[in-house]
Amino acid sequence: MIRRLGLVWLTALIALMYLPILSVILASLSTSRYMRFPHRQWSTGAYVDAVSQDQTWILHATSFKIAALVAVLSLILATFGAMAFARYDWRGRSWFQKAVVLPIFFPQPVLGLALLLFLTAIGVTPSWRSAVFAHMVWILPIVTLVISIRLFGYDPAQEDAARDLGATRWQTFREVTLPHLAPGMVSGGLFAFLLSWSNLPLSIFTTGADTTLPEYMFTRVATNYAPVISAIAVIATLGSVALGLVLLLALRLRRRS
Amino acid sequence: MRPGPLFALPVAVFLAVGFAMPILIVAWYSLMAPRTFDLTTVFTLANYRAAFTEGYGQPFFWSLGLAALTTLTCLLIAWPTAKVLHAHAGRVATIATALVALPIFVSESVRLFGLSLFLMPGGGIFAGSMRALFGVSIGTILNTKFAVYLGMVYIHLPFMLFPVLLGVALIPPDRVEAARDLGAGRWQVLREIELPLALPGLVIGSLLTFVLCIGANAEAAILGGRAITVVTTAIEQRFNYAQDWPMGAALTMLMIAVTAAVVFPALARVDLNRLIRR
Repeated sequence: MIRRLGLVWLTALIALMYLPILSVILASLSTSRYMRFPHRQWSTGAYVDAVSQDQTWILHATSFKIAALVAVLSLILATFGAMAFARYDWRGRSWFQKAVVLPIFFPQPVLGLALLLFLTAIGVTPSWRSAVFAHMVWILPIVTLVISIRLFGYDPAQEDAARDLGATRWQTFREVTLPHLAPGMVSGGLFAFLLSWSNLPLSIFTTGADTTLPEYMFTRVATNYAPVISAIAVIATLGSVALGLVLLLALRLRRRS
Repeated sequence: MRPGPLFALPVAVFLAVGFAMPILIVAWYSLMAPRTFDLTTVFTLANYRAAFTEGYGQPFFWSLGLAALTTLTCLLIAWPTAKVLHAHAGRVATIATALVALPIFVSESVRLFGLSLFLMPGGGIFAGSMRALFGVSIGTILNTKFAVYLGMVYIHLPFMLFPVLLGVALIPPDRVEAARDLGAGRWQVLREIELPLALPGLVIGSLLTFVLCIGANAEAAILGGRAITVVTTAIEQRFNYAQDWPMGAALTMLMIAVTAAVVFPALARVDLNRLIRR
């Protein structure tokens, strides 16, 4: 009985969580200028509009550039960071751990504002490039944590063995440590991409004249709605959801192995 | 150089430049004369005085109040959910966890946009369906404080759920059984066994949710109409419309101070190594 009740609760909760996403999909299936549900005429015209507009692709390109760079750069830095976070025992490690976690527990819009002020003070004009930097301040710590989790289950004796057999420090890192880290790096990279792709609060303040997809949605929702916005939102979300499924699958496989 | 500090260097340098420096710059700006744009060595506390006397209490009150209320609500929803997920090990739990996690990767602007489409009066998804199916016209909660609260809970629930799930996993089942055998009631088990053992997860989840909520502004902008001005919006107005950077910076510093006052004591009590190692 209690078990059944639990499942009902879970199903209801999940249904509620997807209701807004379903609403966007429903709203996109019309070409009427005003939102009037149920639509008098259902159509996929908004998608045709969305695909044929240059703006759709410019928005996607901007978001993609930022997310891809954030993923690659965070991955490189975070791999080193994770070694210091979880692999080595050194004086100052607990300070380092706390410092790495701190940006995660920091309100993002405030971080965005602070970064905007900082960029202006040092004479950098905000653009998609500065957004890469801004996203990394928040995402790099998260990727470092994700890779660190992998390292906690790691036996450093393997490295000593490699060194004893004559491997150089770099060789040891490349051929022993790195392969062990690889699954963590895959999930870390995917995490970074997805979090950057969907980020709103940091982008709002740091992209300058460039616009990312979440920013576009945010500004257009309030001011002038059209079904094409819903269509663009659905297109932008499809890719990230697919990638998110890959990530969850990767995490699941890792746990099993 | 020893390997530990050597490996720490890239991340440490990046965070020093990207995190510490901006905060220092904001702190510096907050001490400049009102409505100036240059960083000088002539310091004043005028902005902080103004922050306390010129009616900024309202935005702070709303942001903190909403954050506290949202955190509590998320905690109350996340606890039973985590227990159910934990009890159903296997396929059901895997699929359900994936379904709960997935919305994190859908931009919050898309989800809030969807929520506003759902709640819209007249031709909104909910109101429209009600009229078409049952012939009833209903009002809307859109553009009210309640809608903002609803949006906050909706957006932040996953951030609470996953740490709580980690926390629930810290409870050894035999401990609960032993307590039951010794005659503990349901309430007693919850208060004396489960909650204390799951505490690290609950603390991290609450902390994350609370901090994210303090800064949240998209919910108020998309769902609240003009019903509410949150701190971040008030600060942004200082920077953009009023062109008063030092004032905006002072408000930002106050917000950072409030956040730090919550984060540091809580974070000091949780052993990160232990929670992550699982």
